[in-house]
Amino acid sequence: MKRLSNIFGLVLTAALLSVGVASAASLSLGSGQLAAGGAAVSGCTSSSLTATRNVDNNGNVTQVNVVAVPQACAGETLAVTLENSAHASLVSASTVVGACTGGCTVSVPVFGTVSAANLTAYAISLTE
Amino acid sequence: MRPRRITLLRLAVAVLVGVLASAGVAYAASLGLSSRKLHAWSQTLTKGTCNQTSATADDSYVQQASPNSVAGGTDTTLTVAGTAGSQDYTFIRFDLSACNLPTTAGADSAGLTLTVTAKSNDTISVFPVYSSWSSPTLNWNGLGGLTIGATATTTFVPSSNGTLPVPIPVTADVDAAIKAGTLWGWELRDTSGTATTTFGSSENNAASKRPSMTLSYEK
Repeated sequence: MKRLSNIFGLVLTAALLSVGVASAASLSLGSGQLAAGGAAVSGCTSSSLTATRNVDNNGNVTQVNVVAVPQACAGETLAVTLENSAHASLVSASTVVGACTGGCTVSVPVFGTVSAANLTAYAISLTE
Repeated sequence: MRPRRITLLRLAVAVLVGVLASAGVAYAASLGLSSRKLHAWSQTLTKGTCNQTSATADDSYVQQASPNSVAGGTDTTLTVAGTAGSQDYTFIRFDLSACNLPTTAGADSAGLTLTVTAKSNDTISVFPVYSSWSSPTLNWNGLGGLTIGATATTTFVPSSNGTLPVPIPVTADVDAAIKAGTLWGWELRDTSGTATTTFGSSENNAASKRPSMTLSYEK
């Protein structure tokens, strides 16, 4: 009977440990929400926002502007990667979305020399 | 059934269960990703060209000595003169509407090509124009109604006759104009001397001497 009691205790220990680990797994997958390729699923916006860029007179990118960012995104980090035709990164930059009324245009300064002619895509993310 | 006693072993097992369960929950809470949300997307750009010729150009020059004259709008040459009291300013623009560019598009590169028909060694400064003008009505007295950039986009010296060896770089101005919706072009001023320089206009008999502009864009 004593042995049975000990076995029961060990089984109970294993069961509770499993619950803890399962909880960890479910938290990471359950509330970490991800969208890619224009398929937005969560966060402060459900839309794929539009980016434009400014250039200097030499045709080099000076900043990227993401337009119509909802004010609900204030405080989130907006990161932009400029890509070439092979989808290789040319440069990355980020900024924190400020407070604004209505849709914000968020400007991200681009440091370094990136020719607009080589820019063929933006990869953009918003992170809490 | 016999009632169970609280033995030392049972108490130890219960404590162990509690500690390990707490460790599992603490581990869950420590996972950083669990409380962050990520929204990511991509945007692919389309590249193209929309070069401009005299067919989409409007140009003129205004004369300080003839402040009401609009003759520059039909002349076959465009004049830039630096003499104080009788300066001439040239205006050139292109209509980009046929390019069908949205205001989210932009210029990758833009270059203005002019042909010098009377050279000088003076510096010509190129200022962006931000407000509407039209050659049939533009004159010196109307300059006050225009919005012209205070800083020159670029400068050049027309030291030899013929087509300028390198197009005048106007990428930043055209990029901004695409985003604004309309390109109102440039004012050319002599900013270093007193010479008179002339360029072929869009009315020039030789098509090769008329202003043109190359434009590579993204949208």
